[in-house]
Amino acid sequence: MPRTIKVEIKRQSNPDAPVVTEKFEIPYRPNMNITSLLGEIACNPITADGKTTAPIAYDSNCLEEICGSCAMLINGKARMACSALVDKLQAGNPDEPITLAPLSKFPVVRDLSVDRSVLFQNLKAVKAWVPIDGTYDLGAAPRQFPQIQEERYPLSNCISCTICMEVCPQFNDSTNFVGAATIAQVKLFNMDPAGSVLKEERLRALAGDGGVQECGFAQNCVEACPKQLPLTEAISDVTREVIVQQVKDFFTR
Amino acid sequence: MATVAPPVPSATSPQRGVQPLRAGQGNSFLWRKLHSLSGIIPIGAFLVEHIISNFETWNGPLAYAKQVVFLNSLPLVRVLEWAFIFIPLAFHALYGVFIAFRGRSNVNVYPWAGNWMYLSQRVTGLIALAYIVQHVWRQRFSGVMLPEHPGAAFAKVQHELSNPWMLAIYVIAMIATTWHFSYGIWLFAAKWGITPGNRARKRFGYVCAALGIALCLMGLASIYAVVYKYPNAPENVLPETPAALVQPAAATPAASLTRSLTVTPLTTQSQPRSTPQS
Repeated sequence: MPRTIKVEIKRQSNPDAPVVTEKFEIPYRPNMNITSLLGEIACNPITADGKTTAPIAYDSNCLEEICGSCAMLINGKARMACSALVDKLQAGNPDEPITLAPLSKFPVVRDLSVDRSVLFQNLKAVKAWVPIDGTYDLGAAPRQFPQIQEERYPLSNCISCTICMEVCPQFNDSTNFVGAATIAQVKLFNMDPAGSVLKEERLRALAGDGGVQECGFAQNCVEACPKQLPLTEAISDVTREVIVQQVKDFFTR
Repeated sequence: MATVAPPVPSATSPQRGVQPLRAGQGNSFLWRKLHSLSGIIPIGAFLVEHIISNFETWNGPLAYAKQVVFLNSLPLVRVLEWAFIFIPLAFHALYGVFIAFRGRSNVNVYPWAGNWMYLSQRVTGLIALAYIVQHVWRQRFSGVMLPEHPGAAFAKVQHELSNPWMLAIYVIAMIATTWHFSYGIWLFAAKWGITPGNRARKRFGYVCAALGIALCLMGLASIYAVVYKYPNAPENVLPETPAALVQPAAATPAASLTRSLTVTPLTTQSQPRSTPQS
């Protein structure tokens, strides 16, 4: 009998529908990842006990860990479906089922697809952009030294996958913590010679409720980040600047 | 023309899940940073002082009594006690409980070192709080009043630790408190941006671990001294001289107080198993 890959997927058909678990058995092919596994199910959406079902809804786009859309809980842990390789997940015990579930801290849209717009709202709240409106010619951009570039580059690798927020014990609906990704982007744009014009506004925003102070330094973010962003270093640096800004504001505003 | 406003999404319609940052709003930044700072100064500083003072038990009941006399002779000592110990400690404890119960620990899923330390900081904090409440009540605000009877300090603690359950509680609380403090210093440096780099944080981790272990061993040595090194300590090594303070004209009681401070060590050390004096 040809080998199969057992998959158990937590599903719900809409945000208010009950959660059900469906089991699938996929014919084995070497070098599959989780997104190709979900693609196989979409080609032939029949559960392990022979029932025809709807294909699994999930987010994915680039399939090479650069768009950030396919984060989900794979065997209980948050990671990118595209870079989660079936052969590695099953190394040692190929009969063990792979479990898939939506990220637990974001509202489910359907099946494995979740609404991560809170990250976009947070990035807007800290003005994580370079303020150039493009209506007239600003001339040449300010010079950026290579030392600054080298410090900024790793932070620019953020793919907004929200895994740092999912694994954070402080990111929950009680603290409403902003999460590591947004704090890292504040450092990225504060270090940009043109973006630094909004530095004080960003630092003041991050002193609001749910800001940098909610970090408990469990350091899960930096362990789990698929792009190895120096998140704890960014949190440390940005918090120092937020403190300095708050003290400065207290005495001068 | 009818001017019916089109249905707009209500401002109160709840967004599900974790809410976005309330940019620049609220005071939680100030409270959280005060909580963080109060753990170092004054509470951490007091903890160091307390453990160093208690280490005088290693030198016997009289040395410990002298330390108690010294601390109670500090100017405005009751003001210092409330302003730099009780009030900051109560704030740190209550806000700490608030912080602890808003976190959602997930070491079962992500069993990483930092995540365990995150949980340990909350668990040791709660242990320390439970211990400190009973410790302050039983040792400071009930039984023999030590500010008025400093000579009774050693015996008071010795009676407390004669109960093996209480001894176990003191040992556990000593470990939990010094753990909480030493990791707290590390967290302070990391979260206030003093040690942002990975290597700086790692190096400072060794410093904090060494400090925590040293404080813990000093505390455990003090417990050992009270329970085993000086058994059957006198009830009061500085006998009461109630007339000394109300009658400055009488020379002899004052002299006896001085004598009791200077001469008694010889008697207590030569007769460590003497019967309690009062």
